[in-house]
Amino acid sequence: MKPYDIVIIGGGAGGVAALKSAYDESLRILLIERDKTLGGILKQCIHNGFGLHHYKEELTGPEYAERGIREIEGLGADVLVDTTVMDVNKENGRFSINVINTDKGAFTLESKAVILSSGCYERTSGAIQLPGDRPAGIMPAGSAQRYLNIDGYLVGRKVFILGSGDIGLIMARRMRLEGADVLGVAELMPHSNGLTRNIVQCLHDFDIPLYLSHTVTDIRGESVLEGITISEVDEQFNAIEGSEKHFEVDTLLLSVGLIPDIGMFDSLKFDISPKTNGAIVDHTYQTSIEGLFACGNALHVHDLVDFVTEEATKAGKQAKDYILKNKKRSHNTIDLTPKGNISYLLPQKLDMGDAFEEVTVSFRTTTNAMTGKFHVYQGDTLLFTKKAKFIVPAEMEKLTIKRDQLINKDPINIEFEVINV
Amino acid sequence: MKKDMICIVCPVGCHLTIDTETLKTDNNKCKRGERYAEKELLNPTRMLTSTVKINSVHQRRMPIKTTDAIPKDRLFDLMKMLDDVDLKVPVRIGHKILTNVFDTGVDVVASMSLEQ
Amino acid sequence: MTYDFLIIGGGITGAAIARELTKYEAKTILLEKENDAGNHATSANSAIIHSGHDPMPGSLKALLNVEGNKLYDVLEEELDIPLFKNGAFMVAHNDEEEKVLEKYLGRAKENGVPGVKILDAKTARQLEPNLVDSVSKVLSLPTTKVTYPWEVAIAMIENAMDNGLVFAKKKEVNIIYREDNVFTVKTRDGSTYKSRYVINAAGAYAARVAALSEEAVPYRITPRKGEYFVLDRRVQGFLSRTLYPTPSEKGKGILMVPQYHGNILIGPNSVYQDSPDDVSTSKAGLSSVKAGAELLTKNIPYHKNIRTFAGVRASSTHGDFYIRESLQKENFIHVAGIDSPGLSAAPAIGRYVVEAIIMKKESLKPNEAFNPIRKHVKLFDDMSESEKEEAFKMDNRYGNLVCKCERITEGDIVRHIQRNVPGDTIKGVKKRSRAGAGLCQGGYCEHQVMKLIARELGKDVTEVDYFSNHSNILKEETKVKK
Repeated sequence: MKPYDIVIIGGGAGGVAALKSAYDESLRILLIERDKTLGGILKQCIHNGFGLHHYKEELTGPEYAERGIREIEGLGADVLVDTTVMDVNKENGRFSINVINTDKGAFTLESKAVILSSGCYERTSGAIQLPGDRPAGIMPAGSAQRYLNIDGYLVGRKVFILGSGDIGLIMARRMRLEGADVLGVAELMPHSNGLTRNIVQCLHDFDIPLYLSHTVTDIRGESVLEGITISEVDEQFNAIEGSEKHFEVDTLLLSVGLIPDIGMFDSLKFDISPKTNGAIVDHTYQTSIEGLFACGNALHVHDLVDFVTEEATKAGKQAKDYILKNKKRSHNTIDLTPKGNISYLLPQKLDMGDAFEEVTVSFRTTTNAMTGKFHVYQGDTLLFTKKAKFIVPAEMEKLTIKRDQLINKDPINIEFEVINV
Repeated sequence: MKKDMICIVCPVGCHLTIDTETLKTDNNKCKRGERYAEKELLNPTRMLTSTVKINSVHQRRMPIKTTDAIPKDRLFDLMKMLDDVDLKVPVRIGHKILTNVFDTGVDVVASMSLEQ
Repeated sequence: MTYDFLIIGGGITGAAIARELTKYEAKTILLEKENDAGNHATSANSAIIHSGHDPMPGSLKALLNVEGNKLYDVLEEELDIPLFKNGAFMVAHNDEEEKVLEKYLGRAKENGVPGVKILDAKTARQLEPNLVDSVSKVLSLPTTKVTYPWEVAIAMIENAMDNGLVFAKKKEVNIIYREDNVFTVKTRDGSTYKSRYVINAAGAYAARVAALSEEAVPYRITPRKGEYFVLDRRVQGFLSRTLYPTPSEKGKGILMVPQYHGNILIGPNSVYQDSPDDVSTSKAGLSSVKAGAELLTKNIPYHKNIRTFAGVRASSTHGDFYIRESLQKENFIHVAGIDSPGLSAAPAIGRYVVEAIIMKKESLKPNEAFNPIRKHVKLFDDMSESEKEEAFKMDNRYGNLVCKCERITEGDIVRHIQRNVPGDTIKGVKKRSRAGAGLCQGGYCEHQVMKLIARELGKDVTEVDYFSNHSNILKEETKVKK
């Protein structure tokens, strides 16, 4: 079979946006999705609050997904649903993509470029080493969301939630509306990881208490969950003795983090950032393997789908240029590395051989602040400073660096100076 | 009587108080906080998103939303009304499922297309 | 009807005895209180087939460990079980510990363990580059292996069933008495069985079961918990051999054990407790495991940890395995105190019970029709290209990848649900097929596995258990009139 020019792996918001921007009549493009329909995780995110940036209106998850899908429907690109990628390899400048479906079994596709937009998965109770028994009734919030919103089943009647990320808060309201009793949400940090709006409308509206600086310190139940204990933690996150509170619950939902889902691409052995758990990319969203692009939650976990769409649109455009303009990457790169109060920067490299004028850097801070300043350095030289307001680690920040602001080949650093907490 | 609230109009998230009789607000940094607090006190409303039954091959529930916010104290009433809905495919996005609920002028619509 | 042999406990020990008995003309039944075989110690241990260097010479443990180790090679042929022949090092860091190595070298030789020798640090490090720098010498134990314990137990039971065994799950024995040379055994669900012999292989519950039959049980079970970390299979290559520290009076210490499928287990610690049911983990316990592993390798990739668990060793006050006919009740056979090296010894325990105890009293005729062969369910991902093509042609469900982390298809899962001893719970499917055993721990595939179990067994999804009885994940359907 004739090789594709671009194969996009994952048909959620990222893959759909990447397809739209990568599309060109002269290119053979394929989008692969493992589910029976496109849309990805948005299909189970039935709440609203999506699209305010990208579509300038407030949509539910399924509505956001459907808009994107409509935009690619008329295009001549191939879409292969109900098909899972087993692994991807690169030999002699070509990617071979091993896929499997019930139509043809296991088979191999070839492509000149690949875009990874395979989303993320939820951190589990094992990964965070929850202490105590391991009965049924403990699961990631997103799994419970799927059972409830797609399949129509409640996973429990008396629920506690660990982690105040937005998924946890949204599920607190959803389970309550469907008749479950939600006894509380515990957050390890002294501040919530969710939007204020969700604290108010998902917790306060239903009198669900939020326990800040608390974590689960014991789980009881031989076969099914019978109860949990939460304890307050000190500044080093150690449980404070005597602060235990006990709850009789049949369900503990975990909203404790998301991780880029790229395990099936292990054989490619591209460089991975220990901070994002996703690929290290340059400003063209190209990984350490030429022709391999990454975007969306498969690259780093986003808090807004609108930013996934924006990033995937850029990655798609870059992949198109890579093929159409036969762009080769240079080894003339500048590193972008985080400095004080910043957890990671993305992209991690600028490819100076590429004729870009400016680049948008996404990053997260490690601390909250009402006001502060972002300082951009190259080597020891301060390039510029940008004022910032209402900074929280849960929200991704962005700033733009212009090429003509750069003064040499030294690494670029961004630092966050807190002015008012 | 004073009532505590968190304003959600902007990212500042002012922890303000409102006097339930005089409607005078405290600790809000701007005018928008006054309007938010007054509305929250006198006529709090919320959008509702939920699901209803459907006979699709892809999923057993259709996601729905209200076309606008409804009185907050009617959320559970509307949830109960949704129990009685049983959709048959095909359903297009925006399909009206319930009309003018509680005489608010607000409809309940499908938020996804399910063809089969 | 009256059985000849009734075995209580469907763990690895009961399974081995059951299979051994089906080699003879006899009516044998195996009762298990849980909803699957091997749910307790068999599915929560280090998975090591020890060489036999550890037990005191002359003990039953020494005899059965060394013999059991050899029998695993036979089982690999007959039952097609996973066996990873990776060997082991016991590591020493100083003169004092090197003396301990010498002691175990001598003990291993006395127990008849083949191939043991002491290696210098340089040689050891060439073979295991991640050993901590302070390692001065190692004792090499090349016959140490790793298996997949519940698959072994299930394979033995399945093969025994092919040869006439009756296996009954969810049968918790609560009454045993003997009249006119026949035992009556009753279970909590109201079933009654009659048998000439009762073999008690109830693991951590052995003393409780024995107490149903005799007044003065000659041992107590002192449950000893061990906690573990499980690292994802993507750490494969970090370590190839099992690593032991030099043992102390508390036991073998914290080990690092590369698993058959590439995962690495780190553990176990040793916590005495009253309850055989308590398999909880604790922060303090897991910290002690980490501290122990620091004596073995450097830069342990804990960021690849996918879960933690604990298992309970069925240790007894007797010290050695307690395998003998009751002194109080004729034809009641105790198989108790089966802690480490219980897994290693299991096939030999099966033989010992039959040949050294039962055959002394009975003259059983060999079962001429006995077929020792069982084939495991080959996963699609393990098939050759041509096998894959053939398998897919027969059943296109092999084309539906359900667990993407471990690459398990619907075709694989359906076959594991349909086995002789069916995988009819989420964890039962995971144990058999590895669906859900990867990075996301079932986050992606659990709902699909649940639907497949429901479909194949004609159940509602709300009736599908996660692990033990009544552990269904879905509690109730929404939007229906209650």
